[in-house]
Amino acid sequence: MNMNTKATLQTRRKFLRTSMLGAAATWTLPVFLEKTFFALDALAADAATQIVTGKDGTILVVLQMAGGNDGLNTVIPYADDAYHVARPRLRLAADQVLKIDNHIGLHPKLSGLKSFYDEGHLAIVQGVGYPNPNRSHFRSTEIWQTASDADHTLSDGWLGRYFDNCCSGADPTVGVAIGGETPQAFAAKNPTGVTFSRPEQFRFQPSARGNGQMSAEEMFFRELNEGAAGDESGTAASNAGGSIGAIPGKTKNDLSTLDFLQRTALDAQLSSDKILAIARKYKSTVPYPQGQLAASLNIIARMIAGGLATRVYYASQGGFDTHAGQINTHERLIGEFNEAASAFVADLKQQGNFDRVLLMTFSEFGRRVQENANGGTDHGAAAPMFVLGGAVKAGLFGKHPSLTDLDRGDLKFNTDFRSVYGTVLDRWLKAPSQIVLGRKFAELSIL
Amino acid sequence: MNMLTPLPDSKWNDATAAHLLNRAGFGGTPDEIERTWQKGLIPAVRDLVEVKGDAANLPAPAWAHPRNIRAQRMEIKAAKDRGENFQSKARQIRMMEGDEIVDLRRWWLDRMLNGPAPLLEKMTLFWHGHFATSIQKVQDAYWMWLQNDTLRRNALGSFGMLVKKISRDPAMMIYLDLQQSRQEHPNENWARELMELFTVGIGNYTEQDIRESARAFTGYRIDMTTQQFRSAPFQQDHRPKTFMGATGNFNGDNIIDILVGKPACAQFVGRKLWRFFVEDEPSTTIVDSVAATIRSHNFEMRPALREIFTSAEFYSDRVMGNQIKSPVQYIVQTSKLLNASAPAPIAAQNAMRQMGQILFAPPNVKGWDGGKEWISTSTLLFRYNFANYLVNGSAMLPGEAMARGRGAGPGFRMGNIAEQIKRDPIEVGKLVPSEIRAKPREVVDLLAKRLFPTRPSDKEIDAFVKYLETRGSDGTDATLRELIHLMMSTPQFQLA
Repeated sequence: MNMNTKATLQTRRKFLRTSMLGAAATWTLPVFLEKTFFALDALAADAATQIVTGKDGTILVVLQMAGGNDGLNTVIPYADDAYHVARPRLRLAADQVLKIDNHIGLHPKLSGLKSFYDEGHLAIVQGVGYPNPNRSHFRSTEIWQTASDADHTLSDGWLGRYFDNCCSGADPTVGVAIGGETPQAFAAKNPTGVTFSRPEQFRFQPSARGNGQMSAEEMFFRELNEGAAGDESGTAASNAGGSIGAIPGKTKNDLSTLDFLQRTALDAQLSSDKILAIARKYKSTVPYPQGQLAASLNIIARMIAGGLATRVYYASQGGFDTHAGQINTHERLIGEFNEAASAFVADLKQQGNFDRVLLMTFSEFGRRVQENANGGTDHGAAAPMFVLGGAVKAGLFGKHPSLTDLDRGDLKFNTDFRSVYGTVLDRWLKAPSQIVLGRKFAELSIL
Repeated sequence: MNMLTPLPDSKWNDATAAHLLNRAGFGGTPDEIERTWQKGLIPAVRDLVEVKGDAANLPAPAWAHPRNIRAQRMEIKAAKDRGENFQSKARQIRMMEGDEIVDLRRWWLDRMLNGPAPLLEKMTLFWHGHFATSIQKVQDAYWMWLQNDTLRRNALGSFGMLVKKISRDPAMMIYLDLQQSRQEHPNENWARELMELFTVGIGNYTEQDIRESARAFTGYRIDMTTQQFRSAPFQQDHRPKTFMGATGNFNGDNIIDILVGKPACAQFVGRKLWRFFVEDEPSTTIVDSVAATIRSHNFEMRPALREIFTSAEFYSDRVMGNQIKSPVQYIVQTSKLLNASAPAPIAAQNAMRQMGQILFAPPNVKGWDGGKEWISTSTLLFRYNFANYLVNGSAMLPGEAMARGRGAGPGFRMGNIAEQIKRDPIEVGKLVPSEIRAKPREVVDLLAKRLFPTRPSDKEIDAFVKYLETRGSDGTDATLRELIHLMMSTPQFQLA
């Protein structure tokens, strides 16, 4: 490893450590960290302004509706006879829907979203999809996650490519996924981002638990994983003139395998400390409903309140694969989404963060126009997306797809999903969409 | 012809022997390392490569036989359409399918851990990643087992033969839509991946080559009763095709012969072998050497593997102890190193998922990228906490997902999760003799040699010793398990 890489690494460690200390003053610190705190603080002070601190930059929250949400019963063309003909059992009548205009209405359970629309904070993008739609959950999800063409397989996710291209050297918490598995959207050449279900679980779990105090084992674990960072005397001075934000982060290919592992171990430890500290300190005063999605959005709101340096959060809601008996299931899911999103927005408003957060929903596909014999719907194609936030330009975007001019029984898309991604990248995350998505897609005026 | 440099006898020692067992298999206990060293390099490699003829002839899991699961699904659908009660039958089938894939994963991990031919299993794993196929689309554990069996039987033999068998493999045919391909509508999915991912690699074919070869692969079908490949001549395109500059009435096998004959193919396979067994970024010289061996032996895998495992390059300092263990390697090798049984099937499956490599469900047709892509803050912390479960038993559950069974996938039965993941703490006495238990430095030296591919720095060794001393150096089972868990919760332990 050359000196320059080493210096960058050491600086990065110091910065992370210092910002961790700054965020968690009450946290019981290993002694060796306390000793160096003041020295490191001075070093990081001028650099901090050049790194996302979590208190200023824009934030994207991606919400996956897994299983294929029935777009047609979410954003409903209630004035279209063809809708009522195709959905004799599932249709929602004109007097039930929450009317957006003379043609389109929202599912009756989306009262919260309707009021955001009326307040001017919800963009509804209609007829979103991609050419040659794939009707497999597995493959279509992959297409949405990697933003690939339907006939091409990519390994890296679209958010992973954003991290790779635009966030190198950033704090590992630049991407946070709530759940058991890292979404493929985060897959990257230089994996970054953290995934956890509950903050309490995203930490090293020692064999023996102490009584509220750090066990000897955990204490030792901390020192152990500081290993490479321990030998840092001297390198700080050589790098003191540089600013952290200006040094391009090293990709993992520049690092030896052991260096890479040590860096990740340190990142894991520091981000887990930060996340746990924020989770303990920030509780929402806004009431959240029951349910996993609400719990996920609640964690995200608390991380935002605590100023975690995150650009992208990811949460998901499952169960949308409604092949049979759809009406009750879908109503419950849409209601759960509405209530969770409403609580989240109320929380952000109370924090004063609503203007810097954008919530974007997607599902791997919509469902077949014609309902099936089991009171459900089969896998379809184009569907709407919601983009919600204080800075959003409200309105209906794109056209609602025709219910009679179909592709094998499915709605034809008129807005490529990568137009939505591209607009969010360019206008919200200030990232060059052409690089992240491989080419330029038509922009939407949602932002 | 380029050749790799043979390893001089003077370099054959317990460290190089351990390295061979790590990479060509799933690691070794101190006893196994000793025996391999005593055997000598050439015989040790020979025994790995020249596996006994019946080593691939494994008894299948009890449930693995053709039974037309699709017909059963159709029956359920028909019952459903008739408005009859279909729920209990459907549940039964789902449960069966879920249990089967969990059991198949258990079965293979058991082969890796206890089987007589570690390299054969490692090569089968290599080909599983190469010809990546997922249960998520195939939806039938029997077909996944059948593919695994085909990969194992052909793992060390002729690559051309293997590709031909895979082109007739029902799981692959479903995964890449080959069984839907007919004369009027040739499906290009298989044809594209055959070139891009299986034989010559991107840049060595044209879109026209894809279209023309897709026509050659028409008429491949699956007999749903026997669940085996069958040929459907009437669906086949018998007209001439122009492929890579040659014109003829090519069938699928002809296309494979042409592809395997291209220099790019040996390069592609050789590079991938080196990346899997040796290091992430092979030099062109090395790739040329391996490719030359592959070509000169008519694409037999054994000579290439023998050359790799006896080469000085394979045992070089930059290679030894510098590969990140794949999740599967982690699970199998750790079980071996701890002299413990494999984790319970459902726990192993959950761990594979959380660490990013679940057998029979690669993320996509490209398989697993491997190397540094295995490691993120999340997967690394999971490894540390999973180590806790492996060492201390089910008293310590690795994470919420385990406790709640979320993410365990099909086959998981609510209610008896605790029973299913039950695990006893490891028997410390098998690893640390009682006479040195109260001697911290000797304990640490012994365990470090066992657990790490290369000796940690003196400073780190001292730190472990100091830890034991501050714990009272009583050497109780609990304290030593803590130490072992800590040693496993390090960057070094992730390496092999």
